Amino acid sequence: MSARAAILARLKCPAPIASEAAALLRAPERPAVDVTNLESEFLARLALPSVNASHDVVASLTDLPAAIARYLADQNEPLTLCCPPDPRLDVCDWSAFALHATAAPDETATLAIARTAIAETGSLIFETSPTAPMLPNFLTLHHIVLLPVSAIAAHLEDAPLPGPQPRAHYWITGVSGTTDIEGTYVRGAHGPRFLHVILLRGELPHMAD
Amino acid sequence: MTKNVALFVTCLVDIMRPRIGFAAIRALESAGCDVVVPQGQTCCGQPALNSGDRDHAVALAKQTTAALEPYEAIIVPSGSCAGTIRCHYPELFEHDAAWLPRAQAVVAKTFEVMAYLDEVCGWQPDGVTLPATATYHDSCSGLRELGIKAQPRRLLDAIDGLSLTPLAGAETCCGFGGTFCVKYPAISNAIVGEKAAAIDATGADLLLAGDLGCLMNMAGKLHRDGSKVRAFHAIELIAGMGDGPAIGEEA
Amino acid sequence: MSSFTTRADAALADPILKIAVERTAGTAQAKRAIAIDAFPDFEAARTRAAAIKDHVIAHLGPYLEQFEASAIAAGAQVYWAQTADEACRIVIAICKAAGAKTVARSKSMLGEEIGLPHALEEAGIGRVETDLAEHIIQLADERPSHIIWPAMHKTSEQVSALFKAKHRTPHQEETIAAMAQSARRELRGAMLGADVGISGANFLIADSGAVCTVTNEGNAELSLVPPRVHIVTAGIEKIVPSMPHAIHMLRMLARSATGAALTQYTTFYTGPRRPGDRDGPEEMHIVLVDNGRTKMREEGLAEMLRCIRCGACMNHCVVFRQIGGHAYGGTYPGPMGAVLTPTLDGLAATRDLAHACTLNGMCQQVCPVKIPLPTLLRGWREKSWREGLEPTSMRAGLGLWAWVATRPALYRLGTAIAIRAIRLLGRKGWIARLPLAGGWTQYRDLPKPAAQSFMAQYHQEQRK
Repeated sequence: MSARAAILARLKCPAPIASEAAALLRAPERPAVDVTNLESEFLARLALPSVNASHDVVASLTDLPAAIARYLADQNEPLTLCCPPDPRLDVCDWSAFALHATAAPDETATLAIARTAIAETGSLIFETSPTAPMLPNFLTLHHIVLLPVSAIAAHLEDAPLPGPQPRAHYWITGVSGTTDIEGTYVRGAHGPRFLHVILLRGELPHMAD
Repeated sequence: MTKNVALFVTCLVDIMRPRIGFAAIRALESAGCDVVVPQGQTCCGQPALNSGDRDHAVALAKQTTAALEPYEAIIVPSGSCAGTIRCHYPELFEHDAAWLPRAQAVVAKTFEVMAYLDEVCGWQPDGVTLPATATYHDSCSGLRELGIKAQPRRLLDAIDGLSLTPLAGAETCCGFGGTFCVKYPAISNAIVGEKAAAIDATGADLLLAGDLGCLMNMAGKLHRDGSKVRAFHAIELIAGMGDGPAIGEEA
Repeated sequence: MSSFTTRADAALADPILKIAVERTAGTAQAKRAIAIDAFPDFEAARTRAAAIKDHVIAHLGPYLEQFEASAIAAGAQVYWAQTADEACRIVIAICKAAGAKTVARSKSMLGEEIGLPHALEEAGIGRVETDLAEHIIQLADERPSHIIWPAMHKTSEQVSALFKAKHRTPHQEETIAAMAQSARRELRGAMLGADVGISGANFLIADSGAVCTVTNEGNAELSLVPPRVHIVTAGIEKIVPSMPHAIHMLRMLARSATGAALTQYTTFYTGPRRPGDRDGPEEMHIVLVDNGRTKMREEGLAEMLRCIRCGACMNHCVVFRQIGGHAYGGTYPGPMGAVLTPTLDGLAATRDLAHACTLNGMCQQVCPVKIPLPTLLRGWREKSWREGLEPTSMRAGLGLWAWVATRPALYRLGTAIAIRAIRLLGRKGWIARLPLAGGWTQYRDLPKPAAQSFMAQYHQEQRK
C-alpha cells in the first residue's frame, strides 16, 4: 500500500459539509476598524512601532517620481530605483532616476504597487505577475510602495483575491525584523530596513488585460 | 435558613494543620451552617490521579463519593481537592453508568470553602480584627479549575486592620505540584525560590493562600531562607483565628 | 543519552541560560498580555480557533485530498510520507534530481522533527539555515531550544563570540543590531546561490492548494523565491479549509507567539512560477508528513493536532522558564513538547516529561486553540503507569498508601502513627531533614504536624 493510501485509510471519515466550515466564519472576532475612515485607520497602524513605516501622499501618479526623489534625498540615497515592469508607471517622468528592472543582491531602493492595503493591521497586499516580480521587494534596503487610497480595505478577510490564486499572494506588515537575539527587536534582519508608503489620492489606471 | 453541610477536611489538613479544618467549621457556623464531618472520608484520590494510577484514583473517588453524597453541600478547604472532585471525578467515571450520576450529584454540591461563604452564603466576617499587611497567592487549581480569585479577597477585605498588598506573579505556580516537588526537587526549588523572593519583596507580614500544599511549599522555602513572613490559610484569618500560630510555629 | 533529570540539573546550574530564557520568554509573555487585552473577546476567538481545528481534524482525510487536488491543479507535486525517514528520503530524492549542491532552509519545526538537517548532511547536500536563530544554531552545532526562538538559550555575548569566530566579515560594534547585520552579510549571498529552497508550512489551504509561511525576517521569501526548486514539508494537521479560516488562525498565532497583530511577512504560495513571471521557482514539491499524527488522532491525542506552534505554552511554563528547552530532549520543548515527544520518541525513554509538570494549568489558559495540555499529560502518566514504566518504589509506595486510604479506620491509625514519627524529627515547629522526603527537605523546611490529626481532635471535641 502506498503511503498515501495508508495515511488516508487511517483518516476515513465523512466529507466535510461546506455549511459547517462556513459557519465557523460567522461574525469573526477581530479588531474594530472605522470603515468610514479607512485611510486614517490604516495610517495609524502603519505608524505603530511594530510596523514602523513612513508615508507620503501624492495627488496624481505623475507626482510619484518627485515623491520618491524626496524620500531618497532625505535618506541620503542616490536616485537609483529598481522599478517593476508595470505599464501603469509609464505615465511618470523617470528622467531624474537611474531605473532598472532586476534587483541587485544589495539593492538600495525598490518600488512596488500594492493592490490593496488592510486598515486592521497596516498590511500591504501584493501578488506576483509578469509585471510584478517578488524578489526585489525582499532584497531591497528601502521598500517604497505605491498605494491608491481608494484601495484601502478594512479587514484581512478583504485581502485575498477570489477564484484561482496567483503564484504568490503576500502581505507585508512592516520592515524585516528579528527578535532572535535575546528577544531584542532589530530592524533589517534579512529584508528591507525601511518601508515607505506613498498614498495616491488620484486614480491608478486599470491594468490592461 | 440553616444549611446542613459536610466538611471534607482533606488529607493534608487532617495530618498537617487541623486548625484549618476548625477554622472552616467556625466560619461556616458563623455563616449559619450546621457542619458535620463524615466518617468515611480520607483522601480525594488526587495523588493517585496525578500519578497515573487510575485504579486507585477510582477506588478513592468511589469511597469519597459514597461518604459525601448524603449531605446538602460539601465544603472543602482546598481548591485543588475541591477541583479534583468537581473537575476530575466525572472524567474518572466517564464510562461507569452506575457511578457517574452519583459523582455528578456530589460535584454539583461540592464547594471550596471561601467560594461557598462568599457566593452561596453571601457572608462576610463580622467583628474580626487583625492589624497586619498580607499578600495573597492564587493557588493554581482553585484559580483555573474553580475560578477562585475575588472570593477570598472579598472576605479578607472585611477584616478590620488587615491590608492586602499585591503579589507580583500571584497567578504563577509556586512549584508545589503535589508529587512534582519531591520527584523533581531541584526544579521545584528553583520555582519556589522565585516565589519566595516575590513574597519577600512585597514587604507583607503574612502570606495567605487557599491550599495547604502550596502554603507548606512556600512557607517551607521562606523559613529555610530566613524570611520573617508568616503563612496562614486565608480561612484561618477569615474565621478570626489569625492571632494563632502561623504554619511552622509551635502552638 | 542523558536522563531528563541530568539535563535539567545541568540547565539549573547554568546561570547564563536562566538570564537568556528570562529575557526572551519574559518579553513575549508581557507583549502577549497587552495584545490579548486589546483584542475584542479573545476568549471567543480561542473557542472559534479550536472549533476550526477540530472540524479539520474530524474531516482530515477529505481535506487532505482536496488540498492535494488543488495543489496539483496549481502545478505543484504532492508526496505523502508516513514516517520521518520516508519524508527525508523524498526530500533528498527531489534535491538529487534537481542536482542540488546547496539548499536554503527557512525555519520549520517539522523539518527538525523529521531530522531533515541531518539527512541533508548525510546526503552531502550543503545547508544554509536562513532564519537568524537557526543560523546561530547551525554555527554552534546545537539544537533549537524553543519553537519560535530556537536560539533563546544564547546570550548576545555568546552570539557575538560565535559570529566573530565564524563570519567572514563579522561585526565590529558590540550591539545586537550589528550582529544581525553581520548575519545579513553572511547569508544574503548564500540564499541567492541556493539550488533548492526548503520550508515548512504554517497553514495548507485546502480549497486553493496554497502553502502559507509566516516570518518576521523575510527569510522565507528570500530562501524560496530565488532557487529553481521549492520543497515544502508539512505535517498533515496544518490544513485549514479556506483563506478566511487561515486568517482567523493567523490572528491567533502572531498574538500568542509574540504579541504582534501579524507577522511582518505572510505569504501564500500556490504552485510554481507562472508563464511570464519574473521570479519564483520552476518546481514546487509538497511533502505531506504523518509521522505519528494519525496515531495521535486514534489514541486520544486528537486535541494535540490543534497545535499551531505558537510557543505560548512554553513561554508561560514555570518549568520551561527554569530549565529551558534542551532539557526536554526532544524537538519540541515545554508543555506541547511534553505531550508530543512521547509519540515521536517513545514513552519509555520520555516518561519523565509528563511528570515534570506541576499541572498548574497556565499552558491551557494561554493556548490559542484551547488544548487541554494538563489533561493530555495526565493521560501519558496513566499510560506510563499501565505499562509498568513507573519506578517500583513509586508503585509500591502509592499502592500501600491507597490500600490504607481505602480503609478509613486503618487510615486513622496509620495517620496517628505517622504524625508521632514525623513529630520526633521536628525542632521548634520545623523539620529540616526528613527520611524518604529528602526531595522536600533538601531545599525547604517542613512544618511539624500538629500533635493530633483533625479527625482525632474533632472526635474528642464531639465526645465532650
